[in-house]
Amino acid sequence: MHYLNNLIKIGTFLLLATFIFAACDTTGSTEDPPEENEEELITNITLTFTNMDDENDVVTARAQDPDGSGVEELQVLDDIELQTDVTYRLTFEILNGLETPPGDIGEEIEEEAEEHQIFFQFTENAFSDPVGNGNFDNTNDPVNYEDVDDDGNPVGLETTWTTSNETLTDGSFRIRLQHQPDIKSSTTTVNDGDTDFDITFTLIIQ
Amino acid sequence: MIVLLITIFATINLFTVSSPKQNQIAGTTKCTVTGIVSDIETEEPLPFAVVKFIDLNRVSTADENGEFTLSGICPGDYKIEVSFVGYETQIFEKSVDDKSIIELELENQFNEFETVNVTARRVFERGTEAISQTQIPKSDFSSNPTRSVASVLSGVQGVTFSSAGSNVQLPIIHGLRGNRILILNNGLKHGFQNWGPDHAPEIDLSGVDNITVIKGAAGVRYGPDAIGGAVLVEGDPMFFNQPFEAKIGTGYHSNGRGYSTQLEIGTGYSNWGYHIGGSLTRFGDRKAPNYSLTNSGKNEKALHGGARFESGSINAKVFYSFVDQKLALLRTSVAESGNLFIRSINADEPVFIRPFSYDINEPKQENQHHLGKVEINWQYSENASLNILAGRQYNFHREFDVRRNADLPITNLDLTTDDIQLEWQHPDWIDFDGMIGVQLFLQSNENNPGTNTTVFIPNYNVQRYSAFLIEGKDFGNNTVEMGLRIDVEDNSVRGRQTNQDLFVDKFSFSNFTASAGWIQRFSDRSLIKTNFGTAWRSPNMAELFSFGQNGFKGTFGLLRYKFDTENNLRTNQVTPFDKSEKSVEKGLKWVSEWNFSTDHHQLVTTVYSNLIRDFIFEKPVNIIGTVRGPLPIFIIDQADSFFLGTDITWIHQYSSRLTGTLGASYLFSRNIEDNEPLINQPPTNTNYSFSYATEDGFGFFDSFEFILNTSYTFKQFSAPRTMRPEDIVDGNMEIRNDSEIFDFKNAPTGYFLISTSVHTSFGNFNGSLEVQNLLNSSYRDYLNEMRYFADEPGLNISLSITYNL
Repeated sequence: MHYLNNLIKIGTFLLLATFIFAACDTTGSTEDPPEENEEELITNITLTFTNMDDENDVVTARAQDPDGSGVEELQVLDDIELQTDVTYRLTFEILNGLETPPGDIGEEIEEEAEEHQIFFQFTENAFSDPVGNGNFDNTNDPVNYEDVDDDGNPVGLETTWTTSNETLTDGSFRIRLQHQPDIKSSTTTVNDGDTDFDITFTLIIQ
Repeated sequence: MIVLLITIFATINLFTVSSPKQNQIAGTTKCTVTGIVSDIETEEPLPFAVVKFIDLNRVSTADENGEFTLSGICPGDYKIEVSFVGYETQIFEKSVDDKSIIELELENQFNEFETVNVTARRVFERGTEAISQTQIPKSDFSSNPTRSVASVLSGVQGVTFSSAGSNVQLPIIHGLRGNRILILNNGLKHGFQNWGPDHAPEIDLSGVDNITVIKGAAGVRYGPDAIGGAVLVEGDPMFFNQPFEAKIGTGYHSNGRGYSTQLEIGTGYSNWGYHIGGSLTRFGDRKAPNYSLTNSGKNEKALHGGARFESGSINAKVFYSFVDQKLALLRTSVAESGNLFIRSINADEPVFIRPFSYDINEPKQENQHHLGKVEINWQYSENASLNILAGRQYNFHREFDVRRNADLPITNLDLTTDDIQLEWQHPDWIDFDGMIGVQLFLQSNENNPGTNTTVFIPNYNVQRYSAFLIEGKDFGNNTVEMGLRIDVEDNSVRGRQTNQDLFVDKFSFSNFTASAGWIQRFSDRSLIKTNFGTAWRSPNMAELFSFGQNGFKGTFGLLRYKFDTENNLRTNQVTPFDKSEKSVEKGLKWVSEWNFSTDHHQLVTTVYSNLIRDFIFEKPVNIIGTVRGPLPIFIIDQADSFFLGTDITWIHQYSSRLTGTLGASYLFSRNIEDNEPLINQPPTNTNYSFSYATEDGFGFFDSFEFILNTSYTFKQFSAPRTMRPEDIVDGNMEIRNDSEIFDFKNAPTGYFLISTSVHTSFGNFNGSLEVQNLLNSSYRDYLNEMRYFADEPGLNISLSITYNL
């Protein structure tokens, strides 16, 4: 009798256990992860030099990292081929090409201009204005920034360049976008903050 | 006690003991107390139980009928300690007067043998009894409940912790960490984002009663992942027949200007008890000896509550805990480009130092963890019982990074974990004492939208069904143990590639786990425990699916890369697990412990080896050009690895008040497949501590304890070679797909640390003063990921005070 009693109790207990097991949602959610609008990734950068005396005279140079985060190497597709003694306006197209349509990271940078600055380094005296070799080595060296952020500091999404009257066959033109949240000022340098892009093009002036 | 309940096996016998009927002969000067100690269930007296009036230091032993008598005990409040073999020793606070009948209740504790270590209450249970283990009681960490579980565990020889700054700490047992250490929070596998070095379990120490660390493969009993060991975190046992108890504590910490407060209340009635508590903690930026560790504060709120009921042979427990934390990660550790990484790693001081602040800025984590469980235990006969445990955990994890969209979380995950365990402690079968259990484990991980970046960890569901059998048998003084387990695990994964294309994968694992152990008791003073155990774990989602840049390097998970026929690294497709040649990690661990004691000495020596097939680790393979500049590329790889080590503890009792403890830990580890070192393995450590303790009053204080701790941590001499990042980026040093493993910076040099503490009690107050890094030494810890960027915190003085109602 005692044995039977126990058996009944065990049965009840197991039933309770089964109930708890069953009450548990055995599958959980099986949703797919959300599609995101990727705003961290830059795959395509295009430099556009526009002759300020002739809007139709446009020189472009492209660099791309087609697989973004993957291991394919960055490709610098074009050289920058400018004419001597011409004033150009330089603008950028900065895209995430892995999205369709491609995401415009340039807009993002513009919106947060007070955290960003593009620095430039180029072959000494390739340009008559600005002179020198750019502001990598010394932040206060001349670069003709045509845009400022809300704090009055340069951004670099728009700059002007007057080429020298001497030709250059194998020069270099390096651009580096620094992300400087909370620290950007008139004295912050190419080494402050973190790098969003850093690309060197071959510069030819003829 | 929770340990017991969870485990079914051992406990179950809730003998309400005793009721030592205490008689005060009114009006006489004899003041004699008598009583009987008996088992409430069987009503049988417990002969020769020991009853001690602690305050008076008066001891009486019950006679063969469980009766005891003590003279000279006059009316008043007393602490009475009752102990009986097989039961947990328990202290009751009782008011003794001439009319009261004292009801005392003891929990049966599966305490197979007396332990020589008198400071630790040891609870052994079948299946892990033969594995080297240590239990840390609340008294060892109650004076500073703002510490992490990992840092408390690091007081045990052979256990250290890895960290990502001051707020994220993960235990390392014998060189293994992360998913290789199973963390059981109140009987449930703590369900959190357990990947990478910067995710730690959300456990608040103020709600913890004791922590047991098992330094062997405990997978049979607790489930997969226990390749390196297991950590059992238990809440208040909620004993019955306890007076109302309330504790209010507060503490102040000079380094980080931290402050914390805790509240705990609990009562045990005749057939039910409860315990609730909560804590608040806030720290600002910590300080290294020479500079502020900018963005290293934390903010934590925690709550817990539980109740236990008993009705006849049924014993039930409900428990809930909640932890909410905001953790800052060192600002200077963020480097998305090689430029900044090179600059940060070579800087003598962090490149980002700001004045002290309580602010928690990016990079930071915001985590909430809910844990709820119900447990019912039915002791249906004297030596058999059934136990069911059901629990659910919600874990909300958000990470914020320094980036253009800094206000949006870069990782936003909701993890839901269900756990159901049914265990049967069977009656003895031909003297075999054992248990059979089945477990169901379900986990579902979901990404929340709005991070503006491709999901890093995919959505996934895990279902695991397990069954195990554990048996033990005593042969005279010796014990044999063995266990078998089978797990069947189904995974369903849904992730995104960077172009937002969906990928899905489904894979399953079935694995056997086995263990065998032996305890040889040579005498009361010498015993050897030895255990062989296998264990396995499935690769975690980050190890499988990591893709691309995370910080200054790009990492590709096991399923995200391939080498083509020309041995070029390709990352353009996701390989389904079943078509890959990847496998689960499988370990075989042997651990032996020799415990030898004399009147004034105790020596505990642990020796272990662990062979892990397909050990999963990260290694460098290349440098590639990216729009951000050159980027070091790492892959997750697998190789057979071997670990061999020893831990030694020698305790010398100089006198009843003076104790010295000498400890040392040594570990050798190697990737034996590629014959190269493993990275981030614990260096050799030696330590000596000296304590002076008295319970008999010390000047103004009722009790007083002074501890001086010294430790020397050696440089990790078998660290991988160093390749400076600038040399790789400049092309001075070449790395190839088959390159030997390396590190970016030399392992830090050895360091000597002193810490000291004073613990006192006076009246209803407990007070503690603790000093860490007394010499304010500048040093870096090889196991801290921040060693690339900043020194460890300097001098810290903590003051805490607790009022017991």
